[in-house]
Amino acid sequence: MFKRFQIIFMVIVLVATPLSVRADITVSLTKGFVQKNKDRATISTTFNVDHAHKKPNKIGTGSEDGDIHIAGRDSVVFLPMVAEILNGKRENDTFKFLMGLTEGQEVSLTGVWRLWFEHPGSEDQIQKKNSVPIPDNTNPDHIFEFHPITKFGNFDCRDSFLPVADGGKEFRGYSADKAFADYEKRPGTITKTTNGIMITSNQAKYNYVEFDMRLTGKPKEVDDGYIVLANVFNAGSSDEEEPLTEQPRRMIFVKGSPPGDKIATMSKGDSLHVLGIPRVNLNEVFAIANGMSGHDEYAFGGLPYEIIIVALLED
Amino acid sequence: MGLFNSTVLEVAVGIIFIYLLLSILCTSANEWVAAMTRRRGEMLRKGIYQLLGGQPLKEGGQSNEFLKAFYAHPLIASLMHDKRHPAYLAPRTFVAVITDILTGSKPGSVEFDHFEKGGEALPIGNVRTSVLALVQRSNKDLEQAQLATEAWFKDAMDRVNGWYKRRTQLWTIIIALLLTLVANANTINIVKKLGNDPVLRTAVVEEAKVRAQKPRPTISVEYADQDDPTNPTITKNEGNELSQNEMDLLGQILGWHDNVFYDKNGYSWSKQIWLERFIGWLLTILAISLGAPFWFDILNKIINIRFAGKAPEEPKK
Repeated sequence: MFKRFQIIFMVIVLVATPLSVRADITVSLTKGFVQKNKDRATISTTFNVDHAHKKPNKIGTGSEDGDIHIAGRDSVVFLPMVAEILNGKRENDTFKFLMGLTEGQEVSLTGVWRLWFEHPGSEDQIQKKNSVPIPDNTNPDHIFEFHPITKFGNFDCRDSFLPVADGGKEFRGYSADKAFADYEKRPGTITKTTNGIMITSNQAKYNYVEFDMRLTGKPKEVDDGYIVLANVFNAGSSDEEEPLTEQPRRMIFVKGSPPGDKIATMSKGDSLHVLGIPRVNLNEVFAIANGMSGHDEYAFGGLPYEIIIVALLED
Repeated sequence: MGLFNSTVLEVAVGIIFIYLLLSILCTSANEWVAAMTRRRGEMLRKGIYQLLGGQPLKEGGQSNEFLKAFYAHPLIASLMHDKRHPAYLAPRTFVAVITDILTGSKPGSVEFDHFEKGGEALPIGNVRTSVLALVQRSNKDLEQAQLATEAWFKDAMDRVNGWYKRRTQLWTIIIALLLTLVANANTINIVKKLGNDPVLRTAVVEEAKVRAQKPRPTISVEYADQDDPTNPTITKNEGNELSQNEMDLLGQILGWHDNVFYDKNGYSWSKQIWLERFIGWLLTILAISLGAPFWFDILNKIINIRFAGKAPEEPKK
């Protein structure tokens, strides 16, 4: 009798738990936006600065990443968003310019686009002109980011793509095995609609990751950067170790940044030790949506992702 | 005795496997119903009716004349097969047809004035009101007026997508309910059967292992040319068919083996039995509504725990 109770209890828990804990959020994008940006590193826009950090984040671990957060609205993406300057302490002139802006002031901005469910909140987000509310603080609920910013006003920020360090402290990101184990299993559903593509997932962890990447092909130059497929390994791993990902993943480099300059000279088989941040791979999302026929929605094993390389690290 | 002894885990594997098979059947049935009822096309028809219905073309004309003209337009008529409504309609096609109707199929280039006057010439109705509201915000620019018309259509399509999603969810629940009752897929009963019959349990677990080795029902993406990371190829692994072994197992575990209303002694089933059935069915319906991919993932995870090692990998994407 007790054993039967145990089994029934287990089944009830099995069914009830997913029903109670699923907190999926959807971001709805226009097909044109996805098609235009799927193989680009950055987007240029006019950005209304609504709230900004008064000083850069500390440098340490976890969220102490040295970034400067700016919340605002833009004229191209039309989603709730933040923009982040990498290595805030190094970008002193840009920071002074930011502090001189008034609330709501427009500024031209170019940044690496980043869709990621790190701070998705609880409401679905739909890409629509003039529909984005003015944020209340520097970190509103958002799925879209410009991260890192590459140009803010007239300030070129590509020199911020360096190890995040201040004096003796250096920010290193999460270990590759921990972070990529999570990225590989992020839930994701792609829904193709008449006018756009919806991506559904839940809150993500592990923002920055440190890893070794080994190129499995040659870098492909795109308008504003380089894209390369690479296998992923723990930092300092030997050549005999198995890659951490099921297949090579896309790595995104910004043209004119130190990592971008480096990758332009590399070829298949070469390795790099890097700091990166994940974003949704819109190239895969677009391909999946295009492959749907008769299905309007498809859930699959993992949210397609790629890694933005923000710094080359010392071995 | 720990909770996670071998029998309990095997029963868990079994019930998850049964949920997966039922979810696959539910998905297939839902797709069949969607195709039979032309769900997507019908929703689109309803959305277009909301936009264009109730609008005559001339004073004293029939209320749906504008809608009829829309569907009679060659750009739309060419999308209809055997009078079936298309499942998708590109916004630019919608705008082209509306522009053409408003400007009286004017040959040559069309100006903003033609568009505006076409709207003004319509008798009172939904389209006239909407078009005039759209042109007011267009700064006398045809391109802006057409963009506003496109946005009007897209907003309507967002609503259509919402209807479609809700209708699909409703059908999922209806099909799950029917499947559960027809097959008597009572979770509590299934658990009892698996718990009490080691032979059946072993057969189910073995078949669950086979299912876990199959590719996940999904679309997978591969960059076949490693030098071109912008050109993926996609592979569809539908996985929506049950094998004969799986069908046989479902036949052994599910079904109405007892009289629905009376026990073997001819007495009515007690309230407790009915309550147990109700809870068992409800759990099954909830489980099926979570969908096949969800149960596939859970099955893979629990098989990895149960058999202390990862199940053989599905083929590399």
